[in-house]
Amino acid sequence: MTSPAGDTATVRLHGALYLEEAITEAAETFAGLASFAVRADGEHYVVDLSAIARDVDGDVVAEFCNFALANTARRRRSGHA
Amino acid sequence: MTTMTRSQIEILDPATATLTLSLDVGLYPRDVLYAAAYVFLDRAYVLLDRQEARFVVHFRSKRPVDEPALRAMAGEFENELLAQALRHQVVDANQRIIEDVVAVAIAGAAGDAPGDAPLEGVPLIDPSDPEDGFVADPLGIARPWEPEKQGGE
Repeated sequence: MTSPAGDTATVRLHGALYLEEAITEAAETFAGLASFAVRADGEHYVVDLSAIARDVDGDVVAEFCNFALANTARRRRSGHA
Repeated sequence: MTTMTRSQIEILDPATATLTLSLDVGLYPRDVLYAAAYVFLDRAYVLLDRQEARFVVHFRSKRPVDEPALRAMAGEFENELLAQALRHQVVDANQRIIEDVVAVAIAGAAGDAPGDAPLEGVPLIDPSDPEDGFVADPLGIARPWEPEKQGGE
């Protein structure tokens, strides 16, 4: 799932369930709260988060995952995938 | 209990407010899974995964919860899967009708609905016919009912 360590974390999102465009869109949304690097690794997209803002209310990593899921669902519903 | 063909609770941990469910990939279409998960985004962090022939759904509640609340969340998610599956089925069955209704509505709004042509340029009310349109008032509907306003008629 996620492996946060200090101000970094790694998220693995399954390629069959998350769209890369949706992940990228979520990363752009959270660009002010962390740095994102997205890469493919087998069946998963691996997202490396660094410089995560810790002084914000809420869990940046988990909210990012929610956004990636919401973006995927929205894009699939509107026929973008 | 035949747990491999239905959804089942894999992890339920009130200490971390986490719940993990798994369900057979053939149980529901992926769009149903998205729709059901979407409903929970406001109260939980949701992560979807796939392990072999099963979808795995991780929840972490945004607020502290006890075990009954987590079990309730699992039940609500299964209910939501069913509701979304039915909705998906109804939309599929009525897709053609929905598209036709929308097409007619858009064409009508644009003024080029099929069947408009025969009426184009034809007056809908004949001003020379007192029985046509709103001029005739055989039931007295247009007459004011207040006595002081009836004098002006």
